[in-house]
Amino acid sequence: MTASAIELRNLNKSFGLAKIIQDVNLEIKRGERHAIIGPNGAGKSTLFNLITGKYTPTTGQVFLHGQDVSGKKPFEINRMGLSRSFQITNIFHKMTVFENVRCGLLWSMGYKYSFWTMVNKQRELTRRTDEILEQINLANRRNMLAGALAYAEQRALEIGITIAGGADIIMLDEPCAGMSRSETELIVDLIRKVTEDKTLVVVEHDMGVIFDLADRISVLVYGQIIETDTPERVRASRAVQEAYLGTTLEEEAS
Amino acid sequence: MSLFIVNILDGLVTGLLLFMLCSGLTLIFSMMGVLNFAHASFYMLGAYFAYQISLFAGFWVGLIVAPIIVGVMGALIERYGLRRVHQYGHVPELIFTFGLALLIEEFVQFFWGRQQVPYNPPAALDFTAFAIAGNTFPAYKVFMIFMAIGLFLVLLYILTRTRIGMTIQAALSYPETVQNLGHNVPMVFMGVFGVGTAMAGLAGVIAGPVMGTFPGMAFTLGAIVFVCIVVGGLGSLWGALVASLLIGWIQTFAASYNLRMEDLLVWLGFEKPMLMWESAWQDLWTLTLPQVGPILPYLLMVIVLVVRPQGLFGKRET
Amino acid sequence: MSTPSTNPLTAGTSRLIPLNHALPWIIAAVALVLLPVIFDSRSALTIMNQMAITIVFALAYNMLLGQGGMLSFGHAVYMGLGGFFSMHVMNWMSVDPWLPLPVLPIFGGLFGLLFAFLIGWFSTRRAGTTFAMISLGVGQLVASLSIIIVIFFGGEEGISGNRTEMLPFFGLDFGQQIEVYYLTAVWLLIAALGMFLYSRTPMGRLANAVRDNEERAEFLGYSQRNVRWISFCASGFFAGIAGALFAINFEILTEENLNLATSGTILLVTFLGGVGFFIGPIIGAIVFTLLQTVLSLHTDIWALYVGILFVATVMFFPFGLTGLLALHVLPWKLGKIGYLAKPYAKMIVPALALVLSAAAVLEILFHVRHAGRGENEMTIYWTTFDSHSPLPLILGIVVAVVSAYALAKLAPGLKAAWDEATTMREAGQ
Repeated sequence: MTASAIELRNLNKSFGLAKIIQDVNLEIKRGERHAIIGPNGAGKSTLFNLITGKYTPTTGQVFLHGQDVSGKKPFEINRMGLSRSFQITNIFHKMTVFENVRCGLLWSMGYKYSFWTMVNKQRELTRRTDEILEQINLANRRNMLAGALAYAEQRALEIGITIAGGADIIMLDEPCAGMSRSETELIVDLIRKVTEDKTLVVVEHDMGVIFDLADRISVLVYGQIIETDTPERVRASRAVQEAYLGTTLEEEAS
Repeated sequence: MSLFIVNILDGLVTGLLLFMLCSGLTLIFSMMGVLNFAHASFYMLGAYFAYQISLFAGFWVGLIVAPIIVGVMGALIERYGLRRVHQYGHVPELIFTFGLALLIEEFVQFFWGRQQVPYNPPAALDFTAFAIAGNTFPAYKVFMIFMAIGLFLVLLYILTRTRIGMTIQAALSYPETVQNLGHNVPMVFMGVFGVGTAMAGLAGVIAGPVMGTFPGMAFTLGAIVFVCIVVGGLGSLWGALVASLLIGWIQTFAASYNLRMEDLLVWLGFEKPMLMWESAWQDLWTLTLPQVGPILPYLLMVIVLVVRPQGLFGKRET
Repeated sequence: MSTPSTNPLTAGTSRLIPLNHALPWIIAAVALVLLPVIFDSRSALTIMNQMAITIVFALAYNMLLGQGGMLSFGHAVYMGLGGFFSMHVMNWMSVDPWLPLPVLPIFGGLFGLLFAFLIGWFSTRRAGTTFAMISLGVGQLVASLSIIIVIFFGGEEGISGNRTEMLPFFGLDFGQQIEVYYLTAVWLLIAALGMFLYSRTPMGRLANAVRDNEERAEFLGYSQRNVRWISFCASGFFAGIAGALFAINFEILTEENLNLATSGTILLVTFLGGVGFFIGPIIGAIVFTLLQTVLSLHTDIWALYVGILFVATVMFFPFGLTGLLALHVLPWKLGKIGYLAKPYAKMIVPALALVLSAAAVLEILFHVRHAGRGENEMTIYWTTFDSHSPLPLILGIVVAVVSAYALAKLAPGLKAAWDEATTMREAGQ
């Protein structure tokens, strides 16, 4: 049996009385590039946090490669091959760019909590870190403090840390937020490059990016998935236009 | 039985006193995210200022003036000290308040020396309010209970009936809502810090004559106050109240009932060693309740943390 | 300034110890050997031993505060417990000596580690304020327990021992203070090197990562709690070594080795030196020990001065003395350190005047309040006068105000020179 990369079954999440996620069912296949879109406050980030273990579901289950991971801690889920980025840049500000990426590699390369090896003497670790720095075009920023990078570079570093561990499911939370058109193009190319042969789940506001990148799209409105389909069909769907475009228009009007 | 009632009242006095400190500390913590390590130092300042004022103008003037001075000092320290350190993050803030506590203790010793100062209850309250079967209860403690409850009611009124109070209350459960205070957040912070420290000062004024006014009084009570806050749950006012009363009673009862471990062990069927001073368990056998009384709050804290890390009433696990 | 080891092309080359890495350690070792030759008095040895112990403890403390971002108000517990246990081992050994004194610190370290392991289990679940409060509570608990559990802690009097009764070590029985000095110095080097190397392991780097951003670390496969717990254990181990060295040096331990005052002092020492640098606690321990020794000889209110210094450090130099020194690295590298010499030279007189006059005012006030009846005469700065007459006080205040004003006037000049010295424009290369 080849289980899906991610499967959500009747997932619910409430904060107090507010039901943020309601009965979400979703299957994302291995190697698929899946996008989640929806108006502000639809619960996209909450859904992300439920899958990655930051929140525990109120009811329902999350499966990763067929294994139930509901209620597991983020680090346990990460060890099962899922890695995520954050909407608000979430890097180690007081460490160098090189060290940021290296931190992303440590667990996957089996170092665990070791305090008997000198980290600078690990050739393979250094080589792979530099390789990733090349990939994300930050090799020339190697020894700078991450906090001192320009915003777009920090976003690239965020992706670099996320993919460093070689997880086969990559989840990106608004990777292009706050970027200019040209920066966005670069980062989309980067995403395409680094997630080859991997499962990608992405939340994004920029529709151009979504329709360019995704194999399938789920539309989340008020905590419910109203449609999951190919980009062409989602674009054509009446329900989506009413629910989603309707609200965005309203938002723009207000 | 009568001893029991007196202990209930005595424990109430201690508990309410703890709560006067805990409530201010909780308010400051919930609004500003700073656990003010020097909070008990303001309590000590209240007592010393009131003592100094009482030498010239009597107890009642000190009761009014000392907390005001302490509150103004607190506001100024927030404005010119804490706000400066705030930019470096929470840990330096905590270190700053810790340094402040050390400094205040040194200044108190600088002006008033290392010995206890003779700060006494006013003559008007220096009589026995009532006696229960030979156990007397001083009028001054009745006064303390009324003061503490009065303060509690005022606090309750402000928190539930005024606009600023409701915002503060919202901030207790949802720290983000502090932003809703509008453009004068710094002003409100200074005010909350000032009022919180003034409450601590008031507690010092009324506690000084009973608990003793000496340079170590801040750290003695301060550590217990933090235990209350952690046991009750960081940021929970009700938790602080329950924990304060609980610890007040635990301490009072432990001090007055001379239960001996020896009796308990014998009752459990253990044999008392013939030569006590040769037994490896001599410390256990000779233990008495008044002896362990002072450590019970800390023990309680450790147990609560192991069983329920967020505290009895805590929702936030920060 | 690029060194072979920071060059990406040669990083990880197999030379075991690059010379430029070993050099500071060789210098330190040589200095430790030579110091007692230069300062050979009994009191100098005592101070140096005290310093060495404080350095080990402060470095251990900074594994938590600087590297792990955990603020502890109760770290004396682990040093103290290590010390108490070592003292018991010392006493057992005097009955049946089968181990020499130099191995004692290992026992102290292991005992510190054991308790850090037990207490860390629940105290490292959260960082920040909660961790700080728990450390305070546990510290108070252990300090109070030490009075009750007489069999281990010796009650109010504490426990004492005799270091010379253990197995002789190559003929040495450590009766001489100089022997104890070299024992302490060797352990200082071992412990400091151990802690330095630890900071270069994956665990050491992860402690930094969790300090900076615990959430991110969780999403990279690391449990923030485990990272903190392991750091805490390592810190407890080295604190325990410091405790054993204390036991060896002073041959007595009391409740004072466990209480809040000791825990607070180590925070002060570490912060004063600078938490962001490995060398920070070392500088802090040296400066603090000297300051304490000198001040306590000359004034009754030395603790007040230390308190003022501490609060001023937190407010104005949160990176400590080392941070202050590190600020000058850039002008140095740019070859423009000379730009700062003149403004510094101008400020040194008013700065000294301010410190000395403010201290004089405090001393006079203190004398007025605390001197015995009729003892109006006091002496400071080799001058004797009547402390109750207003003139000296007024003079002190005037000098303080004037020098503060002069400093304020000179500040813009320093700022301009500083900007000049830290900009690249006219740099050599």
